[in-house]
Amino acid sequence: MKGRFGPLTVVLVLCSWVVTRAGDDRVHDRLAVVRRLLEEVPLIDGHNDLPWNIRKYVRNQLQDFHFSEDLRQTEPWARSVWSHTDLFRLQQGMVGAQFWSAYAPCSSQYLDSVQLTLEQIDVIRRLIAQYPQHMQFVTTADEVVEAHRARKLASLIGVEGGHAIGTSLAVLRVLYRLGARYLTLTHTCSTPWADCSNVDAPGQIPDHGGLTDFGKAVVLEMNRLGMMVDLSHVSILTMLDVLQVTKAPVIFSHSAAHALCNSSRNVPDHVLRLVAQNRGIVMVAFYTYFVSCNDTATIRDVVAHINHIRDVAGADHVGIGAGYDGINLTPQGLEDVSGYPRLFAELLASKRWTEHDLKKLAGLNLLRVMKDVEQVQKFHELISIWNF
Amino acid sequence: MKGRFGPLTVVLVLCSWVVTRAGDDRVHDRLAVVRRLLEEVPLIDGHNDLPWNIRKYVRNQLQDFHFSEDLRQTEPWARSVWSHTDLFRLQQGMVGAQFWSAYAPCSSQYLDSVQLTLEQIDVIRRLIAQYPQHMQFVTTADEVVEAHRARKLASLIGVEGGHAIGTSLAVLRVLYRLGARYLTLTHTCSTPWADCSNVDAPGQIPDHGGLTDFGKAVVLEMNRLGMMVDLSHVSILTMLDVLQVTKAPVIFSHSAAHALCNSSRNVPDHVLRLVAQNRGIVMVAFYTYFVSCNDTATIRDVVAHINHIRDVAGADHVGIGAGYDGINLTPKGLEDVSGYPRLFAELLASKRWTEHDLKKLAGLNLLRVMKDVEQVRDNMRQSGVQPSEDLIPAHDLYGKTYCRFPET
Repeated sequence: MKGRFGPLTVVLVLCSWVVTRAGDDRVHDRLAVVRRLLEEVPLIDGHNDLPWNIRKYVRNQLQDFHFSEDLRQTEPWARSVWSHTDLFRLQQGMVGAQFWSAYAPCSSQYLDSVQLTLEQIDVIRRLIAQYPQHMQFVTTADEVVEAHRARKLASLIGVEGGHAIGTSLAVLRVLYRLGARYLTLTHTCSTPWADCSNVDAPGQIPDHGGLTDFGKAVVLEMNRLGMMVDLSHVSILTMLDVLQVTKAPVIFSHSAAHALCNSSRNVPDHVLRLVAQNRGIVMVAFYTYFVSCNDTATIRDVVAHINHIRDVAGADHVGIGAGYDGINLTPQGLEDVSGYPRLFAELLASKRWTEHDLKKLAGLNLLRVMKDVEQVQKFHELISIWNF
Repeated sequence: MKGRFGPLTVVLVLCSWVVTRAGDDRVHDRLAVVRRLLEEVPLIDGHNDLPWNIRKYVRNQLQDFHFSEDLRQTEPWARSVWSHTDLFRLQQGMVGAQFWSAYAPCSSQYLDSVQLTLEQIDVIRRLIAQYPQHMQFVTTADEVVEAHRARKLASLIGVEGGHAIGTSLAVLRVLYRLGARYLTLTHTCSTPWADCSNVDAPGQIPDHGGLTDFGKAVVLEMNRLGMMVDLSHVSILTMLDVLQVTKAPVIFSHSAAHALCNSSRNVPDHVLRLVAQNRGIVMVAFYTYFVSCNDTATIRDVVAHINHIRDVAGADHVGIGAGYDGINLTPKGLEDVSGYPRLFAELLASKRWTEHDLKKLAGLNLLRVMKDVEQVRDNMRQSGVQPSEDLIPAHDLYGKTYCRFPET
């Protein structure tokens, strides 16, 4: 043998280097395409639980919360597996709009969940006001687009958990007035008017079998107000009841496909088809136990869910709702809010997704849902003026 | 004797008839003057508890509440001594602006007072929206004037009782965002941060001796927001603490003069002098037990309180805050919201009140206070004052957290 590295080896090494570099170039090119796309259309993420972490870690004392710093270097965020979000990484992730979650735990139901929700809405509003160069509070589809054009992070409010309304439509109206634009009908507990997904676990009995009459009144009042109904966390029977009674498109702010991973947090195929008829949207969650039904997952696993929802419901009915800061296990490559471009690059590479499809996934679908929901509200207003 | 009615009797009868008719004419003239005044300047009443009656009698079901009808003919309002208000009588009373009270009872403190307050704010907003030809929701002094010009009842919201904020400055901010423009720091119960007037009763011991540090933080946050501090219902020490710490004028939405009737709901003279320095206002209540310290009262009794406050604090610091629909005993001639013009006519007759003074009493004083409070807000914002993140100390809530999610 002439030496360890013969000519063949050299050729092989050279070839693999060229292929890798070409691959890197293609990844690089795809990321460039993704970046251009996400400059044209805002990437709208359906669900981020940072506000609850702000309450847990700094008691809503924003003077102690340095959102524009790298929180991976800041205590206690640095040591928490539940922390994925800061302004820098949101910018790297090219996030154009974010629904911030105003959440009160289920253990506060029948206690002070209404007050907790108000306090969380307040901390979200104050956070946005404290970073005006980076964030802009918005409540309509047009305002999302406007903020994105001004290169600000369009910031919306979603209330997580129907117990936040204290079984009162008046409180629901107040939440809308304070800027909340979706209500997740349950968290991990049923309300007196809607079942949560826990009742779908094997051996469990539904509390109500879906929505009660009052639950239907809640949905109709949300239609009238122009507040989106969020079906993440609810039971299948609740999903079916809502889809039957609602006059407006609905969302799932952070759920994935049941067919690929049978968590009760995911959406079964028959419901996906109804969501398509409803003109709604499923915003895909990144929690590994919803994605791979395991404690690790890959970008490809997330891609599989996006593709499945596209296949069953259609490319007009899928979006992104990672659930960052509310989860402790994230897929490789999507460890925090800076990873979204990699996901889009992967979708682009698959050749199944045109640029226009990716724009729908990123934001156009959600914007359409928001506009439809606003349209239903205007229609109700007109009716009431005529009646008057 | 020539007959029962001799010439002298005839003359006497004629004279008294002439005097009475002349008197009637003068009353008529005065009422005409009053009407003109109240068309030029809105009569702004500081406190009306109708929203709580709406909750009590029709469970906030406005479809069952016919505000534009004569409620004296409608059940259950007709039979209630607590009911004084409907649109027709408000118009007769020439009310130009009304603070509607968003109230939750003291028995809800530490339970669901925050939620009750939200529901009451919601019913007020819905009520106003249901009568757009008559009512207009407003939150600033300019909007009050605008609505009055458009011949609408300018409708504002005052929250009654500090327990409504659930010891949370965030909730306070939310109430402001929902349109509330004053907070009465206590109702008939002390909060964990302010004493109510009950502690001034003989033999009672104050809970806090006025405001706690957190109570002062509440007042300063109200200054920053531009929400008026209302001192009706609070103890004297609370009044003093507030007047010392506040950066903006304060109000008493429905209180009278302690010197004339020593109810703990009334304002002592030394506080009246501080209110004058503070450029605040005392809006005079009509409840007989505050006015005459008895179960009946007259317009003259109310006039006496107005005059006393004018004498001690000044004509710039008095207004009207009847408290209708929250009381069950009203003065003769002021039995309901249609009576205000009679009160103004009486003041005019006394010759102590010029037309301009009456305009101040009616609304200019309160409008000045609102504008000053808005100015303080603007100044503080310009100076870069941030929302307060003060939290009530845990020990101030000891034993009272049974309805709260346990946070570590």
